[in-house]
Amino acid sequence: MFKRDEAVRPQTTTPPGAQPPSVPASTTGRPTERDRVNLGKSVIIKGELSGSEDLTIEGTVEGKIELRQHVLTIGPNGKIKAQVVAKAVIVQGEVHGNITATEKVDLRESASVDGDVVAPRVAISEGAHFRGSIDMQKAGVKPGDTKPASPDMKPAGAPEPTATR
Amino acid sequence: MSVFSWAQKPAPEATGPSTGAVDEVEATSKVFPRFLSAVAQQALETRPVILELGPVVGANVEFFSDRLACKLYIENLYLDLEEAARLGTRAGLAEAFLRRLALAGDMFDGILCWDLFDFIDAKTGKTLAGELARLLKPGGAVYGFFGTTPIELCRYTRYVIESESRFRLQHSPATPVKRNVLLTRDITKMFEGLSVSESVLLKSSTRETLFRR
Repeated sequence: MFKRDEAVRPQTTTPPGAQPPSVPASTTGRPTERDRVNLGKSVIIKGELSGSEDLTIEGTVEGKIELRQHVLTIGPNGKIKAQVVAKAVIVQGEVHGNITATEKVDLRESASVDGDVVAPRVAISEGAHFRGSIDMQKAGVKPGDTKPASPDMKPAGAPEPTATR
Repeated sequence: MSVFSWAQKPAPEATGPSTGAVDEVEATSKVFPRFLSAVAQQALETRPVILELGPVVGANVEFFSDRLACKLYIENLYLDLEEAARLGTRAGLAEAFLRRLALAGDMFDGILCWDLFDFIDAKTGKTLAGELARLLKPGGAVYGFFGTTPIELCRYTRYVIESESRFRLQHSPATPVKRNVLLTRDITKMFEGLSVSESVLLKSSTRETLFRR
């Protein structure tokens, strides 16, 4: 799992009352609360949405969403009619459109997706609705690189098993 | 427990539309390993493409990705089935299937039907079987079950693949419908254009079948 919440939790090594060091998030390389953006339920965006920070959408977006280096979360109220490209996509709401992620797509229980998903890893919770195709092409896997068949498997066209027919 | 024993006894509590799994049973399969083998051999030079006609199951997606590194299409025909049973519009089911399966021909190396044909009448079955033959690549495989006892079906089954020869079956209520029992010759006739490659009658009177084009 992403453990994103842990990653964004502020460091608590500073004693109470002391001023935290004012180091910009960009210099630490770790996302902070300021690096996460929420689009609320009432927000409607039509067009192209891109950015360089994690984003949570609870509103409506039509068009294209591109967060190539970041995590996109489509909240339970989110309604997306768009092509989505991100590092990781977590879906709790509705998506009509194709989703491409360089790391992972996670369809939660309340998710409804109509479109094609391309990602090295795809997790689908029970109860999620999905219609479309799932392409989990892993890096370095070539056609024919499938796991070997079990010993009891036989080539297609081989004689029938001895079970009742 | 005998394999596929679930197929013989309808759940008494199952009356409404499918809302979620109500109980689970495990079952073993003799033919599913052959399906996997057929698909793997069918697509030695390209990545296999599989069409799933049941609901999306996360574990199955992972299984097929790990096992076959394939591309998986999900077209849940059970949704149309339940809607038609609930609304009493089963006469239009074939058209609903055709609309949902409006995909290019010769596209798939494997198709998973599960027990879909138990729930549909012969005419709809014929239309669907023809469509599957159209969608399947030459040499491709179709996997499905056919119950042989004329009972009223009151529940759907989600087939969660645990290994190449074992499923976990999750049942959920369905609008009741009488099972369309098909004899072996009916199946052969219905799937014109495909040939029966494997057919195993299990102790539970369920016929597990693999077709090849």
